[in-house]
Amino acid sequence: MIRRLLIANRGEIAVRIIRACRELGVESVAVYSEADAGAAHVVAADRAIAIGPARASDSYLSMPRIVAAARDAQADAVHPGYGFLAENAVFAEACAAAGLVFVGPPAAVIARMGSKIEARRLVQAAGVPVVPGDTPVDQSDDGISAAIQRVGLPALVKAAAGGGGKGMRRIADPGEVLEAIPAARREAIAAFGDGTLYVERLIARGHHVEVQVFGDSRGRIVHLFERDCSVQRRHQKILEESPSPVLTPVLRERMTAAAVACAQAARYTNAGTVEFLVDVSRGSGDAPPFYFLEMNTRLQVEHPVTEAVTGLDLVRAQLLVAGGEPLPWDAAHISQRGHAIEARIYAEDPSANFVPQAGRLLLYREPRLPGVRIDSGVGEGSDVPVHYDPIIAKVIASAETRPLAMARLSAALRAFPILGVRTNVPFLLRVLEDASFQRGEMDTGFLDREGARLMVEDGEVPDFVKRVIALGVQAQDVSSAQPHRTARSWDPWG
Amino acid sequence: MGSVGITEVAEGEYLVEVDGRHERVYAAGPAHDRWAFWNGRVYRLAAQTAPRARLRRDRPAAMQAIAAPMPATVVKVLVSAGQTVKKGDTMVVLEAMKMELPIRATNDAVVAAVRCAPGDLVQADATLIELT
Repeated sequence: MIRRLLIANRGEIAVRIIRACRELGVESVAVYSEADAGAAHVVAADRAIAIGPARASDSYLSMPRIVAAARDAQADAVHPGYGFLAENAVFAEACAAAGLVFVGPPAAVIARMGSKIEARRLVQAAGVPVVPGDTPVDQSDDGISAAIQRVGLPALVKAAAGGGGKGMRRIADPGEVLEAIPAARREAIAAFGDGTLYVERLIARGHHVEVQVFGDSRGRIVHLFERDCSVQRRHQKILEESPSPVLTPVLRERMTAAAVACAQAARYTNAGTVEFLVDVSRGSGDAPPFYFLEMNTRLQVEHPVTEAVTGLDLVRAQLLVAGGEPLPWDAAHISQRGHAIEARIYAEDPSANFVPQAGRLLLYREPRLPGVRIDSGVGEGSDVPVHYDPIIAKVIASAETRPLAMARLSAALRAFPILGVRTNVPFLLRVLEDASFQRGEMDTGFLDREGARLMVEDGEVPDFVKRVIALGVQAQDVSSAQPHRTARSWDPWG
Repeated sequence: MGSVGITEVAEGEYLVEVDGRHERVYAAGPAHDRWAFWNGRVYRLAAQTAPRARLRRDRPAAMQAIAAPMPATVVKVLVSAGQTVKKGDTMVVLEAMKMELPIRATNDAVVAAVRCAPGDLVQADATLIELT
């Protein structure tokens, strides 16, 4: 059993893991960079250790600093969260070498599934179909260009080591090849420290459907159904839901069985996700073919969606299984009930090409509503630093049906004021209220095609909003003279 | 519009009565840069500051400063002084929050000066390239 856990991450996922520690009676140790002193995860943990400057490569990506922090804190285990070092086999190995339990699969499994080439080979051998693709031995620009020609356009160039859309470029036109290859390589090196590229046929009207799997050290593997994450902007998921609106019971049965077969072939332990692309342009009902995309050997950003429909706690199970205990669930008792949908709130400006935003949250009020869960790593007055992923919070709504869950999510976003940095909330609302999204007809190209139409401008400022703004301005103008600056027409303290 | 009653129910949170209907509006920020939220929409009323470089493109004769849209790290500089660029050419590649951000020429021009170098950490609105 884990006694003291170091969380090698920041933001909402670190806070989420700390919460699981508290429930299990495990002591939590946060690490933080100079940009994160006083951040939510630092405050939430039982202990916190500074590990370096703001730059991720000198702090959250620094293996020696994190391992040293774990040793100093006398932690016996490390949870990597997602991103940063979560899918880095060398880090998992370094933890093991330092006598620390790594909360995730063994280093060899991360390495095997982390290499897109080897993962494809492995699951193909297990009878699972893969998207046509190629990882050229010749990794020069010419070698990658040749691979693009063999695979055919439109194609995707991806980082062999990565995920999450970093180091990925979509190429529809031969003219884009020359700029895309070095850009993808640089991003791959910056994000994962490995510039190996991989080329894949682009399936333009596919649904991104992924299956949550979980294995324990006794070789038992279960699945926890699927998530549909087809709404992506620049290959970054922004809305995720379960069940998938395109899976029939037959297709679901096939895909979850394929996911378990992948995990078995990989000798997988702990939480993992098998990503598939369902080609809805080539069949409906039970018929659409599906292809293995990749396996994510870690906890996913969107894991709360699965927790909502299964009623199970994935992080708690991760800690139990990593501590050597068997899976806390039987496959026969895992079911999918109702519908859950998650929106990722990013600090970015939807009216300025989604440029990431950094700054201070002048006002930040999470709504408290039944059926709505909010996972966040910020609070009012927090700074959103420029150095890291701009995710602010995740809002997860669950209800009996898909339309009700969507309505609940919309209502929650409409009641979630975030001021001081621009966020994608207005854009999320437009997507949620879009007719084709509501019909479940969003494929992975949906936002590329429809994004411009859903782009939001501020529009006219309603008169009553102007009056509130004016009130604030006037109140501040006289604030130096009057300590009670706000005009209250009603005051309970009289 | 008829009568409007505004009540501050919590710090920065206002209940506004518009013709008998309640609206909840949130507002924050200094007087020169006020933010407001209503029903999932965000409004920002900033006092006029110096015009940004990207707004100056309708004055072709003038020197044009191409500025960083946000704090970022300069990854690559693809042009040098004296070089001719065409509209859409990538001149600088920035990286922020793990995303690459190409800075392109907004029109055909000549590079007058390069004001950044790879590895530089630049602030929002910092001039990267000057064009004539």
